[in-house]
Amino acid sequence: MLQSLAGSSCVRLVEQHRSAWCFALLVLGYLLYLVFGAVVFSSVELPYEDLLRQELGKLKQRFLEEHACLSEQQLEQFLVRVLEASNYGVSVLSNASGNWNWDFTSSLFFASTVLSTTGYGHTVPLSDGGKAFCIIYSVIGIPFTLLFLTAVVQRIIVYVTRRPVLYFHIRWGFSKQVVAIIHAMVLGFITVSCFFLIPAAIFSVLEDDWNFLESFYFCFISLSTIGLGDYVPGEGYNQKFRELYKIGITCYLLMGLIAMLVVLETFCELHELKKFRKLFYVKKDKEEDQVHIMEHDQLSFSSISDQAASMKDDQKANEPFVNSQSPTSNDSSLNN
Amino acid sequence: MFGGRLQTALLVAGYFVYLLVGAAVFQALERTAEKQEKMAAAQMKEAFLQNFTQLTVAEMEQFMKNLIEAIQNGVYPIGNESQFEESNWDFSNSFFFAGTVVSTIGYGTLHPKTAGGQIFCVFFALFGIPLNIVFLHRVGKMLSLLCKKLGKFLYEKGMRKKKIKFLTLLFFLATGILVFLCLPSVFFQITEGWSYSEGIYFAFITLSTIGFGDYVVGKQSDRKYFSYYRVLVAIWILFGLAWIALLFNLLTTVLEDTEKIIVKDLQQIGKVSKDSVGSQRRRCWPVQFIPEEEPLPPRAGGDAMKMESLTADSERTKNEKKVFSNSKTIAIMSREFNSSLENC
Repeated sequence: MLQSLAGSSCVRLVEQHRSAWCFALLVLGYLLYLVFGAVVFSSVELPYEDLLRQELGKLKQRFLEEHACLSEQQLEQFLVRVLEASNYGVSVLSNASGNWNWDFTSSLFFASTVLSTTGYGHTVPLSDGGKAFCIIYSVIGIPFTLLFLTAVVQRIIVYVTRRPVLYFHIRWGFSKQVVAIIHAMVLGFITVSCFFLIPAAIFSVLEDDWNFLESFYFCFISLSTIGLGDYVPGEGYNQKFRELYKIGITCYLLMGLIAMLVVLETFCELHELKKFRKLFYVKKDKEEDQVHIMEHDQLSFSSISDQAASMKDDQKANEPFVNSQSPTSNDSSLNN
Repeated sequence: MFGGRLQTALLVAGYFVYLLVGAAVFQALERTAEKQEKMAAAQMKEAFLQNFTQLTVAEMEQFMKNLIEAIQNGVYPIGNESQFEESNWDFSNSFFFAGTVVSTIGYGTLHPKTAGGQIFCVFFALFGIPLNIVFLHRVGKMLSLLCKKLGKFLYEKGMRKKKIKFLTLLFFLATGILVFLCLPSVFFQITEGWSYSEGIYFAFITLSTIGFGDYVVGKQSDRKYFSYYRVLVAIWILFGLAWIALLFNLLTTVLEDTEKIIVKDLQQIGKVSKDSVGSQRRRCWPVQFIPEEEPLPPRAGGDAMKMESLTADSERTKNEKKVFSNSKTIAIMSREFNSSLENC
């Protein structure tokens, strides 16, 4: 879903023909990146997994030896059934019976993970009706979420990014680029500490067996909507105030997603990034001369046109909610 | 300004209502199934312990705890020693894992357990996700090219533009659902042994990047998969992701327009007495809603739409506005398709 959001806000849909070689480079780079990741993951995780397998084999052997009445086949049958249930989030251990997966607050948490496309998988719809409803709910709900997030981010961006940048640009007289970059850095730093470091510290306290790194890892995996599900808060045995905790986590995830998008949008509005991305997006057929002339125009009148653009931006932003097209389009319309 | 705030407030309120309603429905649907599952698991445990009275409950619990931890680490304890030759972290599985991280699907059946692996995962995703977004966007453009070509072909045949837009949209939806949802489900029925509805559920959950991980391809240990099975699945996921991103953008704009209609109606109801002032405000709206910030290609198309909106608004009857909005929706969403037509 990040691709839908970034697609509508940061990315300019431009026409084709050029940059075919750029696209080939992109494909190659992407594949290489995946291969690189695979190699590193494999080399880091394989030894640990090896160890775990050996330990598990020994555990099973020892258990069967201690209880000679139990045949291996019977144990396997039992285990298959236990593991199946465990996959669906139903634990057969006695001290876990207090945790229901589908009480109201847990369902709320589940609904929010579905709509944000995080999808931990610690709880999954078991019934056929649940699965069917899940599909229909997401088909409507995910675009709804996109709309919601875009609207909120657009409004927040005005107060958080455009007004401060304009203010400092006019007040202190630095060029807009510099102010924008500094502002983006500061905003990024604040967001990281508020939505990653502090919640990670909180989770490492609230959850029994999470250390700080694991909590930070959880925050990152959740807010980027990857949602592996290896760490899910609120699933510990005898978790106190479980309902409140689940609601709190739901709110945190939503706000964190909004904050990430605000930061992403801020960074996308930086001119440098825009230029870099233009390499990969297909350009309209222009004469070489025209392109150069226009770039020169940009350079010489940049500050004036920027101010005009930002004034226009503010005007627009104060008016009724417009289409979710990004404000960077203003600049592109000026480029024309 | 007032209209914008009302709209945003409505949107936020609507979103939270949607979440609450979803939670209630999930709870109603799933609670009984979960109860049954729990009872079945408890009964089975009882029966097992009764059969083997030398086992104490505590020992059993400890053993199961260790096992469940191992499962969560991706190590499946069923089967004999020979299975220890294969690994979850061999190259092809790691490649698949890297792909699920970067596309944000994140099944979770495989996940890094070491601290080093987790740190690397964070940085890998930090750079990989934007790369993936850029890549998929380009793939999406390629897909919409097909629709554009169809539109051009129909235009040359002499069809009216509105009809062309509608048809290309329908084509986009129908072929997408067929190629990315229906056909793969049939394919999975054969290779994975899932039912057809489970295949559709899996396809949708994967392509929307939710990725629960309850159904994953190529993970059943008792089945033989032909080589390049996962490569095929990866290609399907790639194109399907791009298609679904386009689809969600389409639905988002439809929702957006619906919401605008609702807000306008609310305002009309509220301002029945202040007709002159209200109507002036209303006149402003469509002009602003015509994005001046149209993307470059449909510049000509944008102008055409502006003309349309101004003429439509001068009528200012509710029904006309609704019809216009609907056609505008289709027009906006097929702006990519529009561009080549305008250039003809």
